[in-house]
Amino acid sequence: MDAVKRHLTALLRVALGVVFLYAAVIKIANPPAFAGNVAAYQLLPYAGNYLVAAILPWIEAICGLLLVTGWRARSAAALVAVMNILFIVLLISTVARGLDIDCGCFRQGGEKTSAWTAIFRDIMLLVAAVFVFRKTKQ
Amino acid sequence: MKSDPKRLAAEMAIIVVVAAIIGITWNYRLLADVFQGRAVGAGTSDPPPAATVASAPIPLPLGLMQVKELFDRNEALIIDARDRDSYGAGHIRGAVLLPLGEADQLIPPLAANTPKDRFLIVYCNGYDCHDSRALGEKLIRAGFGQVFVFEGGFPEWRDAGYPVARGGA
Repeated sequence: MDAVKRHLTALLRVALGVVFLYAAVIKIANPPAFAGNVAAYQLLPYAGNYLVAAILPWIEAICGLLLVTGWRARSAAALVAVMNILFIVLLISTVARGLDIDCGCFRQGGEKTSAWTAIFRDIMLLVAAVFVFRKTKQ
Repeated sequence: MKSDPKRLAAEMAIIVVVAAIIGITWNYRLLADVFQGRAVGAGTSDPPPAATVASAPIPLPLGLMQVKELFDRNEALIIDARDRDSYGAGHIRGAVLLPLGEADQLIPPLAANTPKDRFLIVYCNGYDCHDSRALGEKLIRAGFGQVFVFEGGFPEWRDAGYPVARGGA
């Protein structure tokens, strides 16, 4: 039973890492597009949107890499959990403010992902991150 | 498994700091342009010489400061390439509405009433909005010789606190 739990944790950890690496690579490939998506949240000044677009994908990339490799995975999982809580709060704020925007989570541009879909997805990721955090040994 | 909250917090902070260093280094040129109000990715704050402009098949980028100077001196016709709703919600004061979707109907009357050497600045929603560039290309094809794109677009102008107007769409 313990072995099953260990394998399940490892599987979830790698899957979570891959999701975050994927999200990061898409954003790193086109910073202005991601900056535009950040701007749609209407929370930051012009240059601030670019600053977030420059830094946030690299936090996602490093966390993804650490989760996949398993090195310092607890810290990465904790940071992923914090990021997802932040994303959920921001998405709820867009619903509250009546903004109909794309979440900018993965693909930049193209079809819109509704806020509720994104919130549900982020809750799933948050649950996975908390699980990995609790079950992984540093 | 006992966790050490201090160490955990320190490691999380290190990840963020390392990401910030890599992110800022990786996007150094882009961020420098943004923070100095230059055209994103243009790499120069000097206006291009007129000779280059005349033969340029694509509209050249202008930064915030250059657009503001031309705005203050009233030397350019500023054109908003966004849709009517966006224009109505807020636009650069004095900008002319010319949505990209209606360009084929609206460019001929503009071309008939505007000198071909008039300095035109086209903008849209900034960031990676390409409508301004597409409209600029159409204006060049219509015979205008001095067509520029303000890449920061309305968001950069508004956030800099420069004059905006509402309605009129």
